[in-house]
Amino acid sequence: MRLIRLSAIWAAIALGVGLFVLLGYFVDLEFVTGLRILFMQWAVLLAAAALLVGLVNLAAVHWRKVSLSDEGWLYSGVLILALLVTLILAVFFGPDAPISLFIFNNLQLPLESSLMAIMSVTLLLAGFRVVARRRDLFSLLFLLVTLLVLLGTAPALGGTESGTVASLRELRNWISQVWAAGGARGILLGVALGATATGLRVLMAVDRPYGS
Amino acid sequence: MSAEGLQGLLALGAFLALTIGFAALNSRWPIKLRHISAFEALNKAIERAVEGGERVHLSLGTGSVVGSESAPALAGLAALSRIARATSMSDRPVVVSTGDGAMAILARDTLRTTYDEVNASELYEPTAGRLLGPTPFSYAAGLPSMLRDEQVSVHMLNGSFGYEAGLAADFGERAHNFVIAGSDDVQSQALLYAVAQEPLIGEEVFATPAYLDAGAVHKASLRAQDAIRFIILALIVLGVVIETIT
Repeated sequence: MRLIRLSAIWAAIALGVGLFVLLGYFVDLEFVTGLRILFMQWAVLLAAAALLVGLVNLAAVHWRKVSLSDEGWLYSGVLILALLVTLILAVFFGPDAPISLFIFNNLQLPLESSLMAIMSVTLLLAGFRVVARRRDLFSLLFLLVTLLVLLGTAPALGGTESGTVASLRELRNWISQVWAAGGARGILLGVALGATATGLRVLMAVDRPYGS
Repeated sequence: MSAEGLQGLLALGAFLALTIGFAALNSRWPIKLRHISAFEALNKAIERAVEGGERVHLSLGTGSVVGSESAPALAGLAALSRIARATSMSDRPVVVSTGDGAMAILARDTLRTTYDEVNASELYEPTAGRLLGPTPFSYAAGLPSMLRDEQVSVHMLNGSFGYEAGLAADFGERAHNFVIAGSDDVQSQALLYAVAQEPLIGEEVFATPAYLDAGAVHKASLRAQDAIRFIILALIVLGVVIETIT
């Protein structure tokens, strides 16, 4: 009984706040717009607090690995150490301090860039895997278009003035501006409808991501 | 109220009315979903994971809970409820990861509620819904060790991803997992088409709960989406014809 009452309260709060935020996008009333901005600011604050909760959760998972000496515990130890060092430095000296920026520019940025580089290799391998796994018309078309767009984009070995290079560039532009743009718009239309349907289900309290 | 505001409200009202109407008609006019091989394979993979004592991993993406990128993750949370039910009989219930702290809390709430509903509260673990990394690539970097440690065999991506989607799906492929992946971002969908075993294209990422039998309203909302889509298409064609004639 208590559970039912509590879930009704959560649903009512979600519905009320959701409706005001939604109305704020369509109605020009100052009261509604102001309320929408206020709720959005609260949401941003709560999301920031939730990030801290998430980081504690992350540290707890890795602390357990270290304490049980599970496989890869050393990496978990490095993660906890890096988390603590970064947190302490950023809290004491501020996120814009030279030491905080040094960590960001010389550790985090290169590490994430290297992952981006790994992804280009991953995609190349995935291209071969697509042909091996899905031998159908769409996969072949996918690869053919990829090759044509790459050839039309890459620097020309035989000089930029040749007729073949100009034709490839035109073909690439035609593919990307007509076919790809048209297809992407169709997909975006579907995505927008899907997102709207999901949002409406939350407002109808059919989906309750906030639990009961 | 501006004309655009009124049009938006009318469109939303029509969407809502169609969803409620189709849900009410569901018993007399049952909704038959079109065949999507990815979801059929997902259901079988979950069954195999439960029988084999392996784990299902659901990724809710790296998008924030504030903003439009939360929508596919919210659909993922609805799917999570169904997956948690299905895996509640297993020794290794579902594990969820995300790149957003608030989404991790929502995932834990969903898990706790679902386990309470199926009288399996003992399955709930606070670490079953976790933040892997607060930035997109730090999230992806955290995936391989999690897939290995949790003995995952089904790797499902149902959320908002950027370019990190390619890596996130590939880590599952390298671990020989069944990989099904969808995102709301068009470029990520292109990456996932190449990398994932079962890519979800377009709005399919939002249809996961309906295909996991989450309820009549989920199926009705798919039918409402189709109806609205046809209306929009008809209006576009009409606009082109009028523009061409005049």
